Amino acid sequence: MTILLEINDTHTYIEQYHILQGVSFQAKKGEVSVLLGRNGAGKTTTLRTIMGLNPASKGEIIFNGVDITKKPTYEIANMKIGYVPEDQAIFNGLTVEENLRVAMRKEDEAAMERQEYVLNLFPDLKKFWKKDGGYLSGGQKQMLAMARAFVNEAELLLIDEPSKGLAPIIVEKVMEALVEMKKETTIVLVEQNFYMASQIGDTYTLIDDGKTIQSGLMSELIHDNELQHRYLGIG
Amino acid sequence: MEHMLGKINLKSVYFWLIVLVFVLFPFVIDSRPMTILLTQIFIFAILAMSYDILLGYTGIVSFGHAMFFGFGAYATSVMLKNIDSSLTVFFLSIIVGMVIAGIVSFLIGLLTLRLQSHFFAMFTLAVSGLFLVLAEKWRSLTQGNDGFTFRAPEIFSDRINFYLFVLFCLVLVFLLLRLFVNSPFGKVLIAVKENETRTKALGYKTIYYKVVSSVDAGVAASLAGSLYVVSLRFVNTSMMAIDVTLNALLMTIIGGVGTLVGPIVGAAIIELAKHNLSILAKTYPIFERWIIFFGIIYILAVIFFPKGVVGTLKEKWEGRKMVRQQAMKQKEDAA
Amino acid sequence: MELLINLTINGLSTGMLIFLLASGLTLIFGLMHVLNFAHGGLFAWGAYAGVWFYSITSSFTVALIGAIIVGALLGFITERLIIRPVYGDVVPQILITLGFMLVISEMLKVVWGPNQIAATVPPALSGSWEIGDVLIIKYRLFIILMGFLVFGIFYYILKRTKIGLIVRAGVINNEMVQALGINIKRVFLLVFMTGAALAALGGALMAPYSGVIYAEMGMDFAILAFIVVVIGGMGSFPGSLFAAILVGLAGSYMAYYVPDLSLAVNMIIMVLVLIFRPQGLFAVKG
Repeated sequence: MTILLEINDTHTYIEQYHILQGVSFQAKKGEVSVLLGRNGAGKTTTLRTIMGLNPASKGEIIFNGVDITKKPTYEIANMKIGYVPEDQAIFNGLTVEENLRVAMRKEDEAAMERQEYVLNLFPDLKKFWKKDGGYLSGGQKQMLAMARAFVNEAELLLIDEPSKGLAPIIVEKVMEALVEMKKETTIVLVEQNFYMASQIGDTYTLIDDGKTIQSGLMSELIHDNELQHRYLGIG
Repeated sequence: MEHMLGKINLKSVYFWLIVLVFVLFPFVIDSRPMTILLTQIFIFAILAMSYDILLGYTGIVSFGHAMFFGFGAYATSVMLKNIDSSLTVFFLSIIVGMVIAGIVSFLIGLLTLRLQSHFFAMFTLAVSGLFLVLAEKWRSLTQGNDGFTFRAPEIFSDRINFYLFVLFCLVLVFLLLRLFVNSPFGKVLIAVKENETRTKALGYKTIYYKVVSSVDAGVAASLAGSLYVVSLRFVNTSMMAIDVTLNALLMTIIGGVGTLVGPIVGAAIIELAKHNLSILAKTYPIFERWIIFFGIIYILAVIFFPKGVVGTLKEKWEGRKMVRQQAMKQKEDAA
Repeated sequence: MELLINLTINGLSTGMLIFLLASGLTLIFGLMHVLNFAHGGLFAWGAYAGVWFYSITSSFTVALIGAIIVGALLGFITERLIIRPVYGDVVPQILITLGFMLVISEMLKVVWGPNQIAATVPPALSGSWEIGDVLIIKYRLFIILMGFLVFGIFYYILKRTKIGLIVRAGVINNEMVQALGINIKRVFLLVFMTGAALAALGGALMAPYSGVIYAEMGMDFAILAFIVVVIGGMGSFPGSLFAAILVGLAGSYMAYYVPDLSLAVNMIIMVLVLIFRPQGLFAVKG
């Protein structure tokens, strides 16, 4: 399988703090790569660095053979990379419909069909079509954020902790949608919920203290209790 | 340790030497215009230093400094005119101006300093604008833009006496402010400037520190206003106009923010430049629009020269010192 | 009754002029957290440009359009030369825009001389209507209509068009808008130029209203606009209209009934808002 995204020895500073101190991993086309690690390990910053929101000071990020390390955020997004941030960043005050329209690059027939397809993944959103995004529940916000990232055709989705703070039944729904999205696109997922990560992840990358510790197949990690214990505090 | 002590002493020896030179200056060089120019520089140095406390040490931008300058200016001129022109009234008026400035800056600080820095800049601009209009409308007291003249205390009719008094004030304010910024309190202020959220997280009530800093700055600016009107024996509303704030800003930035010495140097540079430009303007009218030149220099300074004269020199000096120390250390290591 | 109507018309027309200044200010701040202290200078340039175009063409329409174009161009220069180099740095940004304000105000004196210039109301809009006992000055009514027209147009753009939607989303979360593939800097330049054009339009409308123009007029009005932005909520377009009318009316009524308080009234409203609702009456961000 071809490599879609490649991150080599990336360093990122936020103000004077050296957050990423050498993160490397690869995401293969069509797979779900999961970033694992403790709170504060640098997973969210890794996604933000890929998006150019916290640009890397060193290292390189190659997407589809193009070096995007120094590109501005909007250009990165326009290379068909969708981003679902940790706090969802719903536009409070705009309706569900408007939240999606901000993201849509076109509003022609094909785009509307695409919107319809995405909404079928998240049927709840249709019910609240004209409702203020700020008044949605946590799970609905998560779905809206995922729909917003997916409403344009996406080659890569960066999704930051979609299960955070959600009830188990909602997590199931989110997972179902992820499985569906996986059929079409490549996903880099940050996830603390190891059950969910192990269910849909193909490969994993362990990050600790801003550095990559290890990468490998998810199926191997599931059986490596020692690694799970040391870096994830499980088992 | 001993080495450091020696250095501090050397620094203060230089400092008092410079003060001595300026004390003796009018007796050696008997030039009335020069004495007056230096007096002006000292007064604006006080104003600029007070601004540096805000901008350089606390990291807040105030656009209302003219208002505090104006409080001092009007307190002194109104009292000297309406009570009498004794030295007692003069000192009393300085205190009255400071108290008013202290109260107003306290209230403004309390209201806006917990909000984003934009609010403080905007609010101070609005409040000082309203005070300016108040001064224009309250003609019975201020005579508006026409202003009024008044008699200064007898002792100041000798320009040299006034020069020495202003120099004394400058040295006093400088020493007090230096004490203030070097105190543990001042260290917290710098921490607020560097990273307010973190300082807050460490358990400091940053709003308290910011308010105290803004009151300090307001009070010192009021003193500068009191001195300024006595030097002119005249007051009008232009002393509350935004130009005064811009002057303080310009001096602080050109001289170097966060250094206290910088604003004094800045005051000297700007006042000398103005003095020379006004001479030039007699032959070339374009120089009457000196605000344009200063404005452009100021904008360029903010973009390209943010540390100012003193800040840049200090950086060079410290850089050299570091290199020297490293070289010495390498030598020691080699040995 | 007659008095009340006239005071209301005066208050509304002043309010509309403040609104033209404040609406740009509030959107520019909302979108990029840039507080443009040079905004009043753009207002004054609009006034001078309007008077100048009127004096050479005798057409008030040309004067207004000319002022709008001058405003937009100045906005372009300001954004590129002044805002962009210190983009994202709050303190230098505040400092530099104030410096620019003084430079452009002073430039007015270089171009048009340091003295006040008289401005006249165009014949078609001069005079007044008598309705019963009430005398309504035409030009003031014209300003009010222009204000509502501008509000209507921009309200429609913000609510109904894609670019309006992007601006609204950007005010709420400009980082996320970029992550959705939108070049926010280009949007911001557009908003900045529009805001500058509105300020200039306000200045051009102000000139015949006050009868004279002078270089410092920008600062006086800018202070009112800042008060309005605080009251209305930074980033809120409808908020700026509401607050501008409030400030305009309060000033007009107070000037007649309690002249001594007319100055303080804006101050008092602003202080109350800052104490009880520091995010402004129409807060955008939750």
